[in-house]
Amino acid sequence: MSLNAIPYKLLTIKDIKLFRGDYFGILISIILFGPVISLFITALESNHGLWKHLTETVLGLYVANTLYLFIGVLILSAGLGISCAWFVTNFSFPGRKFLEWALILPLACPAYIIAYVYTDFLEYAGPVQGLIRGTLGFETAKDYYFPEIRSIGGAIFVMGFVLYPYVYILARTGFSNSPRSLFETASLYGENKFFRVGLPLCRPYIVAGLALVGMEVLSDFGTVEYFSIQTLTLGIFNVWIGMNSISAASQIALITFIFIVLLLFFEIKARSQQRFSETSKRFNGISHVKLRGPKSFAISLFCFIPLFLGFILPVIVLFSNVLLGLKGFDFLNIGMVLLNTIILALISTLIIIILASFSANISHFCSNKILLVFYNLSACGYAFPGTMLAVGVVVFMGFVDSFTGSIIFFSGSFMGIVFAYTVRFYAIPFGATVSGFSRIPRNLFDASSTLGHSQINTAFKITLPLIRSSVLAAAILTFVDIVKELPMTLILRPFNFETLSTYTYQFAHDELMIEASLPAFFIILCGLLPIFLVNEVMKGFFHGYKN
Amino acid sequence: MRKYILSIFVIFMMLSGQLYSGELNIYSHRQPFLINPFLNKFTEETGIKTNVVYATKGLAQRLKAEGKNSPADLILTVDIGRLYVYDDLDLLAEIKSNTLDQNIPSHLKSSDNKWFALSKRSRIIVVSDERIGAGEIFKIEDLADPKWKGKICSRPGSHVYNRALMASLILALGEERAEEWASNFVSNLARRPQGNDRAQVKAIYEGQCDIAIINNYYYGKLKYSEDPTQRKWASTVRLIFPNQGEGDRGAHINISGGGVAKHSKNKDLAISLLEFLSKESSQKMYGEINFEYPVNPMVETTDELKSWGSFRADNVNISDIAKITQTAQKIIDRTGW
Repeated sequence: MSLNAIPYKLLTIKDIKLFRGDYFGILISIILFGPVISLFITALESNHGLWKHLTETVLGLYVANTLYLFIGVLILSAGLGISCAWFVTNFSFPGRKFLEWALILPLACPAYIIAYVYTDFLEYAGPVQGLIRGTLGFETAKDYYFPEIRSIGGAIFVMGFVLYPYVYILARTGFSNSPRSLFETASLYGENKFFRVGLPLCRPYIVAGLALVGMEVLSDFGTVEYFSIQTLTLGIFNVWIGMNSISAASQIALITFIFIVLLLFFEIKARSQQRFSETSKRFNGISHVKLRGPKSFAISLFCFIPLFLGFILPVIVLFSNVLLGLKGFDFLNIGMVLLNTIILALISTLIIIILASFSANISHFCSNKILLVFYNLSACGYAFPGTMLAVGVVVFMGFVDSFTGSIIFFSGSFMGIVFAYTVRFYAIPFGATVSGFSRIPRNLFDASSTLGHSQINTAFKITLPLIRSSVLAAAILTFVDIVKELPMTLILRPFNFETLSTYTYQFAHDELMIEASLPAFFIILCGLLPIFLVNEVMKGFFHGYKN
Repeated sequence: MRKYILSIFVIFMMLSGQLYSGELNIYSHRQPFLINPFLNKFTEETGIKTNVVYATKGLAQRLKAEGKNSPADLILTVDIGRLYVYDDLDLLAEIKSNTLDQNIPSHLKSSDNKWFALSKRSRIIVVSDERIGAGEIFKIEDLADPKWKGKICSRPGSHVYNRALMASLILALGEERAEEWASNFVSNLARRPQGNDRAQVKAIYEGQCDIAIINNYYYGKLKYSEDPTQRKWASTVRLIFPNQGEGDRGAHINISGGGVAKHSKNKDLAISLLEFLSKESSQKMYGEINFEYPVNPMVETTDELKSWGSFRADNVNISDIAKITQTAQKIIDRTGW
């Protein structure tokens, strides 16, 4: 295989010492990239001239809707995430301590579940419009105007309020890690601290957060299906199922993928700038500007809104549905499913974290550009819609299974599903550990190697303790994402195996919201627990610079 | 180090594919809560244990990729289009069963005995009982009449049920007239196509529109819903079985069905489940659990379904509908349904 050949040749020519780890790194990358290659191969099959039909009819609409949604969610989540992060980092106002961590909470909510909940709540038959009709005396839908929740605007609203924490977390990290002296200089010159210092310094963090949001938006299926918005992702399924053409569907998926690779490129760029700005800087403790009077309450209220709309309100509505259906739930079964979900997510997270930190370690010491690109590419599974990636995984596992003569059979096994999660969520811990590495001064590694420690030894003794907090934060994000994951689990799971997501889906798919409410509620609870943890970790992460 | 690698390998082996010999493995496009009552009864009667994976899409690709090694024995789907995909990818075994031949009429199975319909559902028109008078709508074709402008709600055309309906119109009217129908129908819509069939009835109740097309069983699900508001939605609509006029083709029906996986190691067991599903007691269960019509001509429709009115079904060969789904989807794309 030519991919194998490249590193060997280049490495010997340039006389770079190839660590034993590099072989493992290459192997991991090839295995993780397998499903994506499988999709490429699927895309090569004939598509019966469907592109002509698609470009003439629906493709323009798909692209326009996708861009509209994409830009809308980015603007909304950037606005919410950045402004809240700025206020929380620099000002003192009532409820600041509470909001500082609580603003992360919407992360625990899968967007599609929030979409279900808001539809129930805001549509004609829901309580809000009922109240409007009751108090104002309207009788039918035609008597008054109320915005339609099942629309692009509605989708932007739902996704923006659920996804902004990605931006918030990263922007907060960025703001608290910016050198105070620069802000002091800005105030001496009477310049705007936010626009002249905070924003430019924090840009790489914000871009990284937005890239995550963007990928989530492009791979979302649940919300756009429920709102019937004809985006590229929905189009993929119309082509696949409606036209019975998996090849044309894969082709559309790959185009979206290229779009996302561009985003990833921005993220990597941003990360490399981050490295530059963070070494050898002196960080003073942050003193919050004390606000008083109406101004402080206005800021409290402002920061409370995203928390309220992205978390508190939907959880209350969901919980009221749980109470409505209390008699009908099969608690024993749901308990088992909960246990399943936690075990699966824990094992997967552990494996993903180990692999990703291992590769990040290797890639940190790798000076070969081609190998580096290769390592980074293995993290691209995040950029595909889950269902399409699942198809890639299925094809790839089928290939491996036939290759091994079915001694080990991956397809439909617990291991298979763990593998699929690894392909999809590898990007999260990989990115986090790589940036964790960039904070470690190079001379520590040199010292360790001078003292005669092997690379593995160094990794355990020096690196791990130093990057602990970023690895832990990544582990928690990965765990939450796995608990929320639906489409891959649905297709790849073993017989009789349910997770909270799949269990919720069988009811939600049929718009049986009451039956779906309890497992959906548990998904959010499952995500909450580690978020409490991540916050403790993140606190250490920000404030570690004080001393 | 070697010890570690060995133990990791052993754990790998333990976690990888399990063998289910003597058990029946099912890939299902029907939700577990709908299929489980049947399977439990089957296990009770025969002692054969069943294992299920449910997904709405992707299972055919999984089966195909698994090839000869696949543990799957039986495929159960809703909608003819999905069944046909399995047939098209050559994933189904040709089976011989006198019981199935006897219980399932020939227009509701594949000509080479690869798949079989197990229940029927009719795509019917529902109208607001209050706002639409009797005798105003008789056929699906009537919904293209400009007098219904702004009065119709619909699920997106790309949904399998609407796509199959579109295909049935192509067979009945020809491609050109079918497209004309679709584009007039779309211009009559009160709102952008959205929601599932349940949501259309709700929209009529809410007064957003007066007419919609749904699968008949949704009416039953709403009528007997545990949620009192859903029962209210059902009480405001009236059912119209379309195309019942003399000489007309009858109401479009779709099916749920199944087939035996080509590489099944338990083909006999798989066939016995299909036979079980086609026999009288199971056929009645389809009506009782999910308000679907029996395919077995010897089995009577449940009283509840009878009370909704009797109807004549469009007896076009169901596989002809599946063959032209692509043409149907193209019309749906062009007309923006």
